[in-house]
Amino acid sequence: MDDFIAERWRQIAFDMLQHANLVFQCVLVATIVAIALAVLVDRVRALEPVANAVSAVGLTLPSFALIGLLLPIAGLGTTTAFLCVVFYAVLPVLRNAVVGLSGVDKTLLESARGMGMGPVGVLLKVQLPLAWPVILAGVRTSMQMSMGIAAIAAYVLGPGLGSYIWRGLVQTGGANALNYALVGTVGIVIVALLADLLLLALGRLTISKGVRVA
Amino acid sequence: MTTQDPTSTPADRSRDSDGRRISGVEIELTDVVKRYSGQKTPAVHSLSLTVPAGEVVMFIGPSGCGKTTSLKMINRLIEPTSGTITIDGQDIRGRDADELRRTIGYVIQGGSLFPHMTVADNIAVVPKLLKWSKQKTAERTEELLDLVGLDAGKYRDRYPRELSGGQQQRVGVARGLAADPPVVLMDEPFGAVDPITRQRLQDEMLGIQRELGKTIVCVTHDIDEAIKLGDRILIFSEGARIEQYDTPENILAAPANDFVADFVGAGSTLKQLSLARVNELQLGEWTTAQLGDDAADAVRRAEAAGQDCVVVLDDRKRPIAWPWLRRLRSQTRIDVPRREELVTLDRRATLNDALDTMLSSSHAAAIVTGDRDEYLGVVDFESVTQHIRAQEASAVEAQEARS
Amino acid sequence: MSVETHPPTAAPPDPDTPEDRDGTAPRGWLARKGVGRETVTMLVVPPLLVALTFIGFVVWRQTAELDSVEANQLQWGTLRRLLLEHLQLTAVAAVIVVVISIPLGIALTRGGIKRAAPLVIGIANAGQAAPSVGLIVLLFLWLGGGFWTAIIGLSLYGILPVLRNTITGIQAVDPTLVEAARGVGMTSTETLRKIELPLAVPVIMAGVRTSLVLIAGTASLACFIDAGGLGEVLQTGITLFRFSLMVTGALLIALLALLIEWIGRLLELAYRPKGV
Repeated sequence: MDDFIAERWRQIAFDMLQHANLVFQCVLVATIVAIALAVLVDRVRALEPVANAVSAVGLTLPSFALIGLLLPIAGLGTTTAFLCVVFYAVLPVLRNAVVGLSGVDKTLLESARGMGMGPVGVLLKVQLPLAWPVILAGVRTSMQMSMGIAAIAAYVLGPGLGSYIWRGLVQTGGANALNYALVGTVGIVIVALLADLLLLALGRLTISKGVRVA
Repeated sequence: MTTQDPTSTPADRSRDSDGRRISGVEIELTDVVKRYSGQKTPAVHSLSLTVPAGEVVMFIGPSGCGKTTSLKMINRLIEPTSGTITIDGQDIRGRDADELRRTIGYVIQGGSLFPHMTVADNIAVVPKLLKWSKQKTAERTEELLDLVGLDAGKYRDRYPRELSGGQQQRVGVARGLAADPPVVLMDEPFGAVDPITRQRLQDEMLGIQRELGKTIVCVTHDIDEAIKLGDRILIFSEGARIEQYDTPENILAAPANDFVADFVGAGSTLKQLSLARVNELQLGEWTTAQLGDDAADAVRRAEAAGQDCVVVLDDRKRPIAWPWLRRLRSQTRIDVPRREELVTLDRRATLNDALDTMLSSSHAAAIVTGDRDEYLGVVDFESVTQHIRAQEASAVEAQEARS
Repeated sequence: MSVETHPPTAAPPDPDTPEDRDGTAPRGWLARKGVGRETVTMLVVPPLLVALTFIGFVVWRQTAELDSVEANQLQWGTLRRLLLEHLQLTAVAAVIVVVISIPLGIALTRGGIKRAAPLVIGIANAGQAAPSVGLIVLLFLWLGGGFWTAIIGLSLYGILPVLRNTITGIQAVDPTLVEAARGVGMTSTETLRKIELPLAVPVIMAGVRTSLVLIAGTASLACFIDAGGLGEVLQTGITLFRFSLMVTGALLIALLALLIEWIGRLLELAYRPKGV
């Protein structure tokens, strides 16, 4: 095991970064998309049940199945992995953002309007900052989920640590099979924990002290 | 579009008959109607009224009578279906709604502070929208916190949840006044605090209004509050129909109809207590001492005056405690525990408030303070009852004179 | 540290929990059972969707021109076998999860062991951060392939939601009710059986549904360790790069997952105590 890692540490470190990179990009895109959708849902309340149903159905779909559906469209490789991870990453953020935005006290919004803030100002300066802790909780869920989904997406040649797990499976009986599978799995757990710490730190930096849960 | 700099508005251009400074402007509503789609009767049914510059007008009426709707049409949070509203002679529809609102103060129940912003940031919302410089905004924040009786150094960087309800409401008032708007709209501003704090806040608002002379329109559901704060009271019935629009004195003395009489309530002699202010009474002299003074000397002076307690003041002459002599006798230098809760009366408080305060105090009397909480004297139960008797007597005389 | 990986319970307020339902409840027996409009939608729409899609698939299967490889994989007999395997994996793992998690969860709210609850939840959360495919492959390399290896993997993966919801469900019961029950002379066991558990059932059942969905989805990976299931069609499709097989496999897995989620909702409804 030690030798296995020692021989390949450069490659392992690279793949950890690749894994983190894929997930970060996907979660970033997903967060932007989800917040935009949630703002829309917040304006057009009739869309809320639709959004909730899509979230529920979406989270029910097994990721392996979605990969199967995306392959004919996007082919083997990074695009399919990216699309698949983004799809799942959107859902928890969307759900939390809808709840978070609608949870902001309406009198605060009216009070902001009453002081002469424009609609964009109210959204950016009042509503989003107040919903942010809930949204960020969704982002954390999303990030953790995406780590595992990216591993499955490596089956269709997506980047990252998932490929180690699949190589372990393919080389069953071989000398390094267990090493590959272990490095892949543990590597992802480590990346996931580090990413979660980063998000916690982001929370400390971006959530106002006035609304932070002590 | 006319964009006024709200800081340079009418400021010192006029004074009222008492020589009081007026920085407010006139608001005029003409045939204003608000009809919501799908509702048979309009929420506001052809409302016309004038709010004179520099006056406080209280909107009151049963719930659902359209008083809040009428208020919100003035800053265009609700757009009227028809009719015109002018502020200082200008039609408000001629201006961008957001620009307009930046020149109108808006204070609502509980303060409605933004929980993610500090006290200073909350107050600075409108100045920032108006793109004031950092320096000017900071100075203004300091000034306003002082005006509403909060220590700027202590509270500037706190978050709303670290403040009491009354403090939050004070910051709410400061925020409404931030850009020195000529007009301030208030929607049940003191509805969310306990009675003692409410009384205190009302007194402070009167003090502030005395200093600034804004035009204030304030919605309330509390007739005592309306009588206490209002230069005029507007009593609405359903559909925002005006039942009576007059001074508190006239409304109490001569209700226009049964609706108003019912609304104002029976026992209007007692309601008169809300009209009379503490500063109309002769205040009692009391033995005072500074924190750290010789205790024995204070005890001696109090005994000479036949009193059994001493009012202790701090270095800015603000009363901080009212200890009994027996407690002072055990001290050499006067010392009172910090944060002792001393309820005082502002000189603008009503006699109603005075009685309330006395009932909750162990002295059957209350300490009266003036501007910036400076000690003025003491009002006791005896002087209040004397005042009531005098009023009753004059009322009887007036009645006899009429008949 | 706590790591949330598990999708459906992670968002704070679940719109399906009773306290979050809006006031626009429909009429009829569902309404009398206290079921909101959104729950009704989720009970009616997915099975319809599944049925329509499945009918579409059958029509396609019967009319499409398939080459020998495809025809071989898509024989009705083969599909039925794979479906049964998938269901078997899901059902057995779910039963094991329920049998382990609910008693364990209850135990973790009793007496002195109570203090261990946060620790157990923490470990379970951290375990959940491990990717499902990694867990399954590691078990395969350690224990060899086959049905029971898959069952161990699926059960391990499905334990957390039920365990967590059992603990939180019981902890959320109003303590004054428990006190009242003890006050009228119920023993601790009676209190658990007659007061705490019935009140916690909705939360526990939500956890069971989540677990079911998780297990059914992860079972699609069982084909990689010789434990069969519908994943096989998809796996073959990817290996041979045949779109028809890929889409068929993906579709069947998805439909089954939706159906199982629906069954989970029915179970939730069936076990919901009256008046709660």
